[in-house]
Amino acid sequence: MPKIPVEQLRPGMKLARPLENSSGMVLMAEGTELTEARISKIENMGIDSVFIDGPSRPARPKEELLSELEARFRKAGNSPPMAAIKKAVREHIEAMYG
Amino acid sequence: MGNMDPKALRMRVENISTIPTIPSVLKQLSTIIENPKVSLNEISHFISQDPALTTKILQMVNSALYGFPGRISSVNHAVMLLGLNVVKGLLLSVSVFEIMHKAMIGLREHSIGVAIVSREIARKKGLKEPEEVFVAGLLHDVGKVILTLAWPEEYDRTVREAESAGIAIFDAERNQFSETHAAVAGWLSEKWHFPKKLCECIANHHRPQTSALAPLETAMVHTADVIVKARGIGYSGDRLVPDVSARAWETLALSEADLRGILKELEDSVEQATEEFRA
Repeated sequence: MPKIPVEQLRPGMKLARPLENSSGMVLMAEGTELTEARISKIENMGIDSVFIDGPSRPARPKEELLSELEARFRKAGNSPPMAAIKKAVREHIEAMYG
Repeated sequence: MGNMDPKALRMRVENISTIPTIPSVLKQLSTIIENPKVSLNEISHFISQDPALTTKILQMVNSALYGFPGRISSVNHAVMLLGLNVVKGLLLSVSVFEIMHKAMIGLREHSIGVAIVSREIARKKGLKEPEEVFVAGLLHDVGKVILTLAWPEEYDRTVREAESAGIAIFDAERNQFSETHAAVAGWLSEKWHFPKKLCECIANHHRPQTSALAPLETAMVHTADVIVKARGIGYSGDRLVPDVSARAWETLALSEADLRGILKELEDSVEQATEEFRA
């Protein structure tokens, strides 16, 4: 889940984690859908950024991540378990780019 | 320098409190957890006396990594909830967390990742105490921290050797020290009277098939280590994925869907945890 700066919050986004004040009191529950009013409330609380539902988009290009994956596996054997792990990670990386 | 005498190596590791480069918090900690008869009260007292340690323990148990319902605001409560075994491990984890970050950049992220994946596998396999495997995951590479603190120059050389020769860090360690981080941490966890299962997970995470008392838990930490390295989260001394033990893999029998779920959990939790422990 990405951590989104307050100025980029939009109505319809959902909190991925509860919003708490410094003493741990829950101000908005996990899963709360943001509205304009709730966003300005968050702004007024002096919070910089909040966790929002949904996958984070990686900062680097997919090709880079995939070639690093190949490099990490260069000394690994090609047993079925290693092939299964590598395949799962490759699909996981590809899914991050939608 | 070549091979070190394993006996001398073990002696020095077991007497880490005499090594000048070991931070005082670890020295104090080792005197308290070394005592097999230490009670929950004494541990609470020890933690409460140190405001920094108190903050760290409360930060850890209240972090998204644990996800207890409601906020835990006292050390007593935390210690009661988690029990002696988990608290001992957690104490060491929070104390080495900062050192870990300085000793090897990325080791903290790697360790958190292995803890999360170990616990996720434990849950999928219906283990009764997934938190114990979580702590084993957090601590599995603590031997690297100990080696870095006790032999900074030699360990630096070891990491460079692994890099230039393109070999795994544990092979480079064996060349340099004649033993690996896993053995080193195993000695310490025995000396510190860690629970037997935890000792085995830590000492055997590179050869899970030799685990006698905790083959299942050790297989989990071992496999978690491979998965986290495969995903490339954090750094633990090399950039190579080691082969997963065939027997460990068979024991766990993770399906494709299991792997997918584990990778997703890893991605989400590491991101959160890295935020929380950035300090």
